[in-house]
Amino acid sequence: MASKLKDVAEVVRTIPDGASIALGGFAIARNVIAVVHELIRQQKRDLTLSQCVMGMDTDLLVGAGLVRRLIVGGGSLDKFGLVQCVNRARENREVEALDMTSLAVCFAYLAGALGLSFLPIKSLLASEVLERLEAGPGAERVRRISCPFTGEQYVALKALNPDVALVHVQAADEQGNCHIHGPKWENEEQAKAAQRIIVIAEEIVPTDLFRQHPTRTVIPAHRVEAVIHQPFGAHPTAVYSCYDYDSEHLELYVRHARSRDGVRDYIEKYIRGSRNFAEYLEKCGGAARLNSLKADPVLGY
Amino acid sequence: MEPVRTTEIMAVAGARELRDGETVVVGLGLPQVASVLAKRTHAPNLTTLLEIGVVNSNPIDTPAGLADSRIFHGATCWSGFLDILGMNLHRGVVDVGFLGALELDRYGNINTTLLKEESGQVRYFNGSAGGNDVASLARRVMVIMRHEKRKLPLAVSHLTSPGFPGGKSRAENHLRGNGPHRVITDMAVLGFDPQTREAMVVSIHPGIRAQDVIDNTGFPLRLPAEIPETAPPSEEELRLLREEIDPRRVYLR
Repeated sequence: MASKLKDVAEVVRTIPDGASIALGGFAIARNVIAVVHELIRQQKRDLTLSQCVMGMDTDLLVGAGLVRRLIVGGGSLDKFGLVQCVNRARENREVEALDMTSLAVCFAYLAGALGLSFLPIKSLLASEVLERLEAGPGAERVRRISCPFTGEQYVALKALNPDVALVHVQAADEQGNCHIHGPKWENEEQAKAAQRIIVIAEEIVPTDLFRQHPTRTVIPAHRVEAVIHQPFGAHPTAVYSCYDYDSEHLELYVRHARSRDGVRDYIEKYIRGSRNFAEYLEKCGGAARLNSLKADPVLGY
Repeated sequence: MEPVRTTEIMAVAGARELRDGETVVVGLGLPQVASVLAKRTHAPNLTTLLEIGVVNSNPIDTPAGLADSRIFHGATCWSGFLDILGMNLHRGVVDVGFLGALELDRYGNINTTLLKEESGQVRYFNGSAGGNDVASLARRVMVIMRHEKRKLPLAVSHLTSPGFPGGKSRAENHLRGNGPHRVITDMAVLGFDPQTREAMVVSIHPGIRAQDVIDNTGFPLRLPAEIPETAPPSEEELRLLREEIDPRRVYLR
């Protein structure tokens, strides 16, 4: 089979303005930072992002002004703080935020992945989360319904079928079979709901490794369009069993993200001012810094 | 021995609300500390679930958050939201949901989304994540939070996760699960009146006066005629908290 290995810039050129993108990161873990940087360098516009829990990935894309709409459960940078660019954009009504819950976003992906037009859920009822969705552009994604068998009230969630899913994994083969070590949050449902799956892998491994442990394959090759090989591609967020989050860089980012000027400076220096991800990693301290983040093989961090 | 800290009283009060053999969905911070403490004392058969897909983890280093690899350590199962929030919580097998809150009102409704400043400016926070799912679906819900008047208002500024909205029953609100059961603060343990569904005092922590609790609560709080004192931590509980569970005092500040 032909290799699906591609360069990140080449892949991002195929993502059009206005695309809906499912992001595979969670808070400060396995964020698709290498692709986020390239989306910013290529100045994509009017993106719709969906994710159970937003992290630095979404915060950067919103901070760079690329995003029109968010469909999310929540957001956090764990102990490093809030998603400040997202919150500022919401407070100034610069982004349309459809707030749901983690499970609601996951069920909407699951519906999409199963080819269903909706799935019912027992969350959201009797909350302002639902009332706000119903009162705004989120109204197209939720309906109060009753079970045809029992009469019980549910919220019907319209299926999410993003144009593209971007998922950062520990290992893939050149055809796109993927291993994810550690918890997978909503990665399988969002990938299988998407029209196109793009995988960013820390390591490219032989297909025989998948044949030896086939139950571990989370996303199978036949659904994957492209594989990007980018070691430390989630930096400064963590990738279990590969490297820890970079506390110093996350703190630096959070300081910048406090203001519009700050985040603009960050983007100019670290993203637009770098021709590629390798140059960015050099600016963050290069091999010496990255080696210090490498995971202990037993602990995984 | 060092004097007992309020956070230690809170962690211990939280742990004692968990029963051996139960299944609990745990949020980060003091809920995590309390459930580890319960497991190492009276509830060795407690099953702890993290929403991102972690079952019965046993961290040996204190994690910075739910996304920290340190909190994945020692787990017996790694899955995802669909398994934990879907096939456990939505399925109806979760006994306890253990949450934090920006605001909580007299009917146990929780806000984790936004606060409104006096100028009218809205400030956003973390949103629901799994909080609304847990509050909607767990058999009983426990909240750990600081006891301040502005954090305990008559009505939350945004109802993210339902307790007893409108003072109505869970069934009238079309919610599964029995709703809020305990609110553990740095001053008291609160419960909910089964008839009116309003928050009431269950016990007050050692050294705190009933008037302090009333003064720091933004809604009328029912007090029993005889107010029990929250049982203080035992020496063994303090040793576990200080030496094993959070020795660097990340959460037990």
